[in-house]
Amino acid sequence: MTPKLLVEDVAKDYLIPIIDRVSFAVAAGDFVCLLGPNGCGKTTLLRIIGGLEPATRGLVLLDGEPIIAGRPHRHRIGVVFQEDRLLPWLTLEDNVALVLKPLGTPARERVEIARRYLGLVGLAGFESYHPGRVSGGMRQRAAIARALAIEPDVLLMDEPFGALDAQNRRIMQREVRRIWEETGRTILFVTHSIEEAVGIGTTLVMLSARPSRIRELIRNDGRDRGTLIDDLNTMIMEEVERQQGARP
Amino acid sequence: MSTARGWVGRLHLPTLGVLAAVLVVWAGLSWRYGAYVLPSPWSVVVGFVDVVRSGEIWKHTGASLYRIAIGFGAAVVVALAAGLAAFLWRSARTVVHDLLAILNATSVFVWIVISIIWFGLSSWAPIFTTFMITLPVVASNIVEGVENVDRRLLEMGDVYRLSGSEKFRSIVVPSTLPYLVAGMKIGFGLALKVSVVAEIFGVTSGIGYIMNYSREILATQMVFVWALVMILVMMATDKLLFDAMSRRLDRWR
Repeated sequence: MTPKLLVEDVAKDYLIPIIDRVSFAVAAGDFVCLLGPNGCGKTTLLRIIGGLEPATRGLVLLDGEPIIAGRPHRHRIGVVFQEDRLLPWLTLEDNVALVLKPLGTPARERVEIARRYLGLVGLAGFESYHPGRVSGGMRQRAAIARALAIEPDVLLMDEPFGALDAQNRRIMQREVRRIWEETGRTILFVTHSIEEAVGIGTTLVMLSARPSRIRELIRNDGRDRGTLIDDLNTMIMEEVERQQGARP
Repeated sequence: MSTARGWVGRLHLPTLGVLAAVLVVWAGLSWRYGAYVLPSPWSVVVGFVDVVRSGEIWKHTGASLYRIAIGFGAAVVVALAAGLAAFLWRSARTVVHDLLAILNATSVFVWIVISIIWFGLSSWAPIFTTFMITLPVVASNIVEGVENVDRRLLEMGDVYRLSGSEKFRSIVVPSTLPYLVAGMKIGFGLALKVSVVAEIFGVTSGIGYIMNYSREILATQMVFVWALVMILVMMATDKLLFDAMSRRLDRWR
């Protein structure tokens, strides 16, 4: 089976080398979590995959089509950023409907689709609220609805719950897992929380300290979570120490 | 009726006390130095009622506001064009910045003298002066607004492939509007203050003209009456026009 998303020898220099060389494949319907110490280039890698930033070397293929920053492609990529990035002057419904315009969806249908996806993320009844009137967790739900509404080939999430408190974070993790099960989307999820990654991902990609490579690629089939979390914790500690120069 | 209530609520007791004290001192000084130097508060009230009754207030206020509307309106239009240029071309920003710095440093009197040379003694002198003085204020606000558009929102627009015009309409315009309203508010106040100065020369209507004329015929109380009219016009536009605009913009907050 050809993979949905192929990351091939991607490297990024930005004054200093950030990403040394990273390759991995994502099958359709996979839920991949990108893990690694702070500042190891997880977000940069996600931005390269999303075509928001050029790679210094290497290639990203989505269904065989190269994704290159600044060049048009035929695929749809949904992105949920750390911040909700909703337009504060539009209602939640209009925020979601807006991104359907470039797809040529007729106005009436845009509203219907927006309502459907707001319902999916648990925001039924809040369609006509402005982002400033709802909580941070609800805004991030709306951002997820917006990303899903375009029916993306791949959904990229960059520490989307980083700004939420612990309770909201746990609720949103469950929600994302449920939404993934209901929609079957291919998801790439960046996080620095091992518990979060083990809790929701089907595949875990552990990156090394900067300049990053893949340290470990793990199928998370649900067996022995405790040991897995312990192992990952040991790995991340080693990488953090290496990044700080305490280890060769 | 909530606005009427707001007005009454705004009447702060200590402020009223200070105003009353000023009136008393004013009356005393007027009595001491005579009506030519300082007319009494009462004569100003009488004069004000007179100009309202005779309708003269509308004639001169209207003439001033008409000139401001053209000069200030043109300044807003040109400022919007400058903002659009700053959005489209990065290099236009520096050009606009530099030009505005020069305009900002130019005195009102320069424009009054030049406009009299160019347009003679006509309405165009105050109109042109108003235009040149308010343009940099409104334009620098709009350009600042365009520069402060959240890059992260624009990147979101790129992710979802919004067209350039859609990004302009949905992201740039709404985030720049508060800057435009703030710039217009300051600009309008400036326009009112500047255009009356230009009206001293060569026109036969407008608040500036009638104030200067009152001085010439030694009717000092009428100078005070027209000053009062100016203050009232300024406060009214501020409260009724610009505050309403700001409130409308803030609906979603």
